[in-house]
Amino acid sequence: MSLLDVSGLSIRFGNTEVVSDVSFSLQRGERFGIIGESGSGKTLTTLAIAGLLPDDAVVGGTITLDGEPLPRAERAMARLRGERIGMVFQEPMTALNPLMRVNDQIEEAIRLNIAHGAPQTKVGNLLEEVGLERRHGERFPHQLSGGQRQRVMTAMALASRPDLLIADEPTSALDLITQRKVLDLIADICARRQMTLLFISHDLKAVAALCTRVAVMHDGRLVETGDAMSVFSAPKQPYTQRLVAASRFDFPPLEHAPLGGNLLEVDGIVRDYRQSGGLFQRHKPLRAVDAARFAIASGECLALVGPSGCGKTTLAKIIVGLDRATAGEVRLEGRTYHGSDLPKDLRRDISLVFQDPFGSFNPRLNVADSLGEPLRLEPGLTAETVRQRLVESVEAVGLDAGMLERYPHEFSGGQRQRLAIARALVTRPKLVVLDEPVSALDMSVRGEVLALLARLQADFGLTYLIISHDLDMVHAMADRVLVMEAGRIVEEGKPDQLFARPQHRLTRDLVAARLPQVA
Amino acid sequence: MNRLWSHPSLVIGLIATLVFVAIGLLSLVWTPYPIEQIDIPRRFLAPSAEHWLGTDNLGRDMASLVMSGAWTSFLVAAIAVAIGVGVGVPLGLAAAAWGGPVEWVVLRLTDFVFAFPAVIVAILITTLVGPGAVNAIVAIGIFNIPVFARVARGGALSIATLDFVAAGRLAGLGNAMIAWRHLLPNIMSLLIVQGTIQMSLGILAEAGLSYIGLGTQPPATSLGLMLRDAQGMFLIHPWLTLVPGLAIVLIVIALNIAGDGLRDAIDPRLRQGNPNVLA
Repeated sequence: MSLLDVSGLSIRFGNTEVVSDVSFSLQRGERFGIIGESGSGKTLTTLAIAGLLPDDAVVGGTITLDGEPLPRAERAMARLRGERIGMVFQEPMTALNPLMRVNDQIEEAIRLNIAHGAPQTKVGNLLEEVGLERRHGERFPHQLSGGQRQRVMTAMALASRPDLLIADEPTSALDLITQRKVLDLIADICARRQMTLLFISHDLKAVAALCTRVAVMHDGRLVETGDAMSVFSAPKQPYTQRLVAASRFDFPPLEHAPLGGNLLEVDGIVRDYRQSGGLFQRHKPLRAVDAARFAIASGECLALVGPSGCGKTTLAKIIVGLDRATAGEVRLEGRTYHGSDLPKDLRRDISLVFQDPFGSFNPRLNVADSLGEPLRLEPGLTAETVRQRLVESVEAVGLDAGMLERYPHEFSGGQRQRLAIARALVTRPKLVVLDEPVSALDMSVRGEVLALLARLQADFGLTYLIISHDLDMVHAMADRVLVMEAGRIVEEGKPDQLFARPQHRLTRDLVAARLPQVA
Repeated sequence: MNRLWSHPSLVIGLIATLVFVAIGLLSLVWTPYPIEQIDIPRRFLAPSAEHWLGTDNLGRDMASLVMSGAWTSFLVAAIAVAIGVGVGVPLGLAAAAWGGPVEWVVLRLTDFVFAFPAVIVAILITTLVGPGAVNAIVAIGIFNIPVFARVARGGALSIATLDFVAAGRLAGLGNAMIAWRHLLPNIMSLLIVQGTIQMSLGILAEAGLSYIGLGTQPPATSLGLMLRDAQGMFLIHPWLTLVPGLAIVLIVIALNIAGDGLRDAIDPRLRQGNPNVLA
């Protein structure tokens, strides 16, 4: 008999049906993955299984666990969750109580289950099982790294020895190396405890690495279900085919102009942050960027990769003039600056595309106002030229000039990122800094945005500095790669060579952590 | 607009507030009797067709006094809120946009003003220039400044970390333009809600100041002043205290309901039925 059986599940909010007619079943010990983009209803489906939907959701269909339908009463459902279902959430920082030590949080999970007669476990054993040391138990969540927090979440989920572990995008907030470690940990624990896994992700490669059977969700419906191998190697539905194609990033490389002389030179940039200590103790300043030195040739696409917190975003902020270097200097076409003292007439030559397309537009300004903002850097433009430039850049990113009058909330994530690129292009810059340009986007639009960036580079002779931790994207886009660790640039090379024969320890770790391509 | 009407408390609060404002406005052009008209023989009358709410110890018509008093209360509170917004919001925005020493100065300034209750400020002003409605306005207005400065700064700080503010800085906008274009429009809802709360607090404060004799002076009247006049006769003629007291309570409740409703209607986090927050 199957452990979990979902049949004809539908979830409605008011008049909108967000999940409709979803059916699948999980065998004991199986590792099942649900793939879907944001808004596809995959998270709501798992919340329905755990009985955690908001009160105004109307649920249809049946969900049975071991042949028993889920209890309606909240108290019985809470007991069932505690005994049989473990959950690991996406954002480990908000899922842990910041005021409780790790030991106490895990202890609480254990204690609640002792009351229900579950077999007893020790905090220490759980910590060891998820690969943490006992001293980590004494810490507060903010003293742990993202990966460690996710391990603590897993330990809490394991406290009741659940039959079913639900992991909802457990690695999307983590960087590449930690992601791989957490995925390996989950696979390991499931194998050891013969636990059933329901894994939710938008990342095909993570699902492929972890799951034996997968379902693809789109617009609240299950599009395709089957063996992981067969779905990924021979997708039947057009939507799945698009997803699989998009995850490979294979778009034909465009010819771009031969590299010119050095456009930007970064010379020994250092950025220290003061750390606030107590009244009488002085902390050593935190060095975010440590003597970074490199140059970008005009027309080049240079990528800066590294784990989160290695200082790559700080360096980008100094280059675009949002932050100021403690020491060292940057030269743009021979003119020297140190960060925020970037001369006004040079500002139009550098622009930045932000990571999060939802935070990068003022919700109260229409698109034309937001896009036109950088044109203040070119005084003396007539209203007509401004309009013309706006239309030009919006059309360059493949959108319609009629969209200029609309407001940001009317656009999808992919469209907003196109608009963000349009805003970066409106001053006709020479250097565009792209800070994780696609990591906040859905898989299926990532490829489109990258292809757009490649085409724009060829059309306008742009120079790119890409900040990312996504090696596959970097491999597809970059001419040259810099690897950064703890503020220092530790390795440099062409992507093909660098990823085939990594020299530095960090680069080797990064390459090793790369998930295999699907099918 | 449909969104506003889907919040019943907002509708009730707004309508009640508007009714009081309309009554107050009406008192400017018409009251059943002139409020200065003292008519001792007709004092302490019970409510009747002639005097809807009866008459007070000087034979003045209570209905006329309440109408006029409500207007004074609204006017004092509204101007005080305007003073608070006009001075406090720019200070708060400046603190958030410039940071550093500017922020320090603004925060210490607000701490300093917070340390003096409105009553102390009013006593100070009265000692300097004598009592009157204008003094109440200034005293309550000064008290409103740090409130709005804090609210504006708090709201602006959370907006200032968003990428579109950084995009504005990249586009060469100065701190003042950042505050005007990007910060202010995004904290408007906070300010509107705080405004209604300060309105109701202002009405209470005006009543309090008039009650201790530092606010409105006769022959003009306010709800607080009516309370003061009636308190000596509370045991003999409780009606004279109940009428202005209930009027204050009703106005403040109406404003608070309207403020709560506005917050629910404006704050997107409290908006119902939005499945996108989960998916």
